[in-house]
Amino acid sequence: MKQNNWVNVFFLIPVLFAFTMIIVIPFLFGLYYSMTDWNGVRMVVNFVGLRNFANLFSAPDFLYSFLITIAFTLINVILVNIVSFALSLIVTSNVKFRNFYRAGFFVPYLIGGIVLGYIWQFILNNIFLSVGDTLAIEFLQTSFLSRSESVIWAMSAVNTWQYAGYVMLIYVAAIQSIPASLMEAANVDGAPYLTRIFHILIPMMANAFTISLFLTLTNSFKQFDMNFTLTNGGPATRFMDVPVKASQLLAMNIFNTATANRMAEAQAKAVVLFVALVVVALVQVSINKKKEVEM
Amino acid sequence: MKRAIISFVLVVGLVMTVFAGGSQQSSSSTTAGGDKVVTMYQLKVEIKDALDAYAAEYSAATPGVTVSVETLGGGGDYGGGLRAKSQSGQMPDIFQIEGMGGYEIWKDYIADLSNETWVADTDLGFMVDGKVMGFPVAIEGYGLAYNADILAAAGIDPATLTTRSAYEQAFQTLEARKAELGIDAPVAMAASVSGGMWWVAGQHNLAAYWGGGLDFDDTSVIEAALAGQMDDARFREYAQYVQLLFKYADQNVLLNGGYDQQVGAFAQGRTAFLHQGNWVDPNLAQLGVDFKVGYAPHAFTNTPQTGLYLFAPSWYVVNAQSPNAQAAKDFLTAMATTSAGQRFMVEGAGMIPAFKSVTLQPSGQLSQALMAANARGGNYGVFFGMLPDGAGQNVFGPIYDLFAQDPDNLDQFIADMKAAIAGLPRM
Repeated sequence: MKQNNWVNVFFLIPVLFAFTMIIVIPFLFGLYYSMTDWNGVRMVVNFVGLRNFANLFSAPDFLYSFLITIAFTLINVILVNIVSFALSLIVTSNVKFRNFYRAGFFVPYLIGGIVLGYIWQFILNNIFLSVGDTLAIEFLQTSFLSRSESVIWAMSAVNTWQYAGYVMLIYVAAIQSIPASLMEAANVDGAPYLTRIFHILIPMMANAFTISLFLTLTNSFKQFDMNFTLTNGGPATRFMDVPVKASQLLAMNIFNTATANRMAEAQAKAVVLFVALVVVALVQVSINKKKEVEM
Repeated sequence: MKRAIISFVLVVGLVMTVFAGGSQQSSSSTTAGGDKVVTMYQLKVEIKDALDAYAAEYSAATPGVTVSVETLGGGGDYGGGLRAKSQSGQMPDIFQIEGMGGYEIWKDYIADLSNETWVADTDLGFMVDGKVMGFPVAIEGYGLAYNADILAAAGIDPATLTTRSAYEQAFQTLEARKAELGIDAPVAMAASVSGGMWWVAGQHNLAAYWGGGLDFDDTSVIEAALAGQMDDARFREYAQYVQLLFKYADQNVLLNGGYDQQVGAFAQGRTAFLHQGNWVDPNLAQLGVDFKVGYAPHAFTNTPQTGLYLFAPSWYVVNAQSPNAQAAKDFLTAMATTSAGQRFMVEGAGMIPAFKSVTLQPSGQLSQALMAANARGGNYGVFFGMLPDGAGQNVFGPIYDLFAQDPDNLDQFIADMKAAIAGLPRM
């Protein structure tokens, strides 16, 4: 066993090296810079302690971004997983062309958030409006992206469209790894379809839910690219009596702070995002782990 | 327990992949093939081809020096790109700053250009403590651009547009005869956060409040704002003008549109006015505009205002720490003083040079209108560069967006702006 361990370590070295160089060290630097007044260029860096953190939670724009990110994450964790689970049931059933559907549902994930954001911006801002104008449907005559109460739902729909196919693959793999004999036995015993799903399928693939929930949770929490191209943070809305950007998620708030040359402040926000994400992800994983069944 | 620790480490590790941000300082000398390579990093996408061509021409004519130009701008993050270059030790020899904010960040790298020959030929060099630190890229400017054909058809004389009430009447006339004139709305204005158009509203339009109707170098209004004070009477007049622009704007462009939609609406003759500067000339040419265009002033008071807003939008600066600093300075000097350089600025890039000795005329109609205004005098200064970084984008931007959504709510807009200005000293 001992020798085995050394072999393991040996094979891990390249990965550990890369991980240390591009993740761990920059991360520690980031922690340090969040407590300085660095502007990104200057060579003189002054240590200012926790000053950058002090005002964060009284700043309406940051607070709003934090809350809207939590809302966005909740919506997406639920929406993406329901849709992708439903899709995985469809493509593992006996429906015709199921391999074609599998590929088709996965394609949006391959397009990537930037392009996809622009595509959906065009659809929501132009095509929906044209349809609304032509058919005189008042509901469609203002873009969903320019209404502060609907923008988060529009973003969630696009996000679901992007990620559902990807998460579906995880569910498909899990469903296929369940011994067919279990389902057949239940079928012979006369268990109806829904009972089979809720009492056999779902408990048997609990580990897939752990992974999928973790992925959707972290992806929604740090969503940036689609946010940037689809809404760019707009429209404005009022929060704590201050105009803020209605769809500016945390990552984008950090980005906008950084591009305004407030590097240290942006880094402090990033540290807050990191801590929040670790806490939420750990809670989620530990809850899900309890539900898993060992084969 | 051990399993819990492992899963903790794994989760933390996965999550950490979001973050990166480090610093490293190294330096490199840029020579290749015996030639000194002067690297230039610039942000005006619209002049990329012309500048590349001029750099090639200059390199061919100057033995021992090759100028290589890299462009990142438009929607691109120029500041981020420059920062990445400085971190990786590839700081360019010539780069661009857009005002005091940029100067403060990069001042360790910026060379004093006071002794260059072009300094006496311009009023718009970037001055710090009496020293010239930046080469003015061009004169840019704006007013409210109009489509002369539509105004003529509606019986409006643009020369009369010197007060807010004149604008109100003109907008009403246009609005009433929309179908007949074939327009969607009187004005192509953009103010949306989603379209990234905060700079049209929260920067260029707001500049009217900072400098409109005052002497060219009168910064009293913005100085007061930087101390947290708003001139209530003046701002109310200005806010009413914004309200007018928003109410008579094409609503889809105003609330969702980006630059292309805004300029496109005007270029296709679907609006009579466009709130943009002379940098749209190449876009208008591309879009095949054949109607006559000109500039009317942003007259936001009922006391007549006739001036346009003129400024140097950015400056080239020379990297003081580069071994090629002298070659870089020579390149800029050649651009300002040789006929090839002047031809590049005017004919190639279609810019209005900030140098008095240049006599060439730009071909763009709006640029010509600006040059005429510059010769006439009585124009207004543009001072948004004095604001703290991020004020336009993150503070004023959402306020204008919200006002655009509900332009009847004038008092709320004024109250929001008053609060924002009161917060400026803390930024």
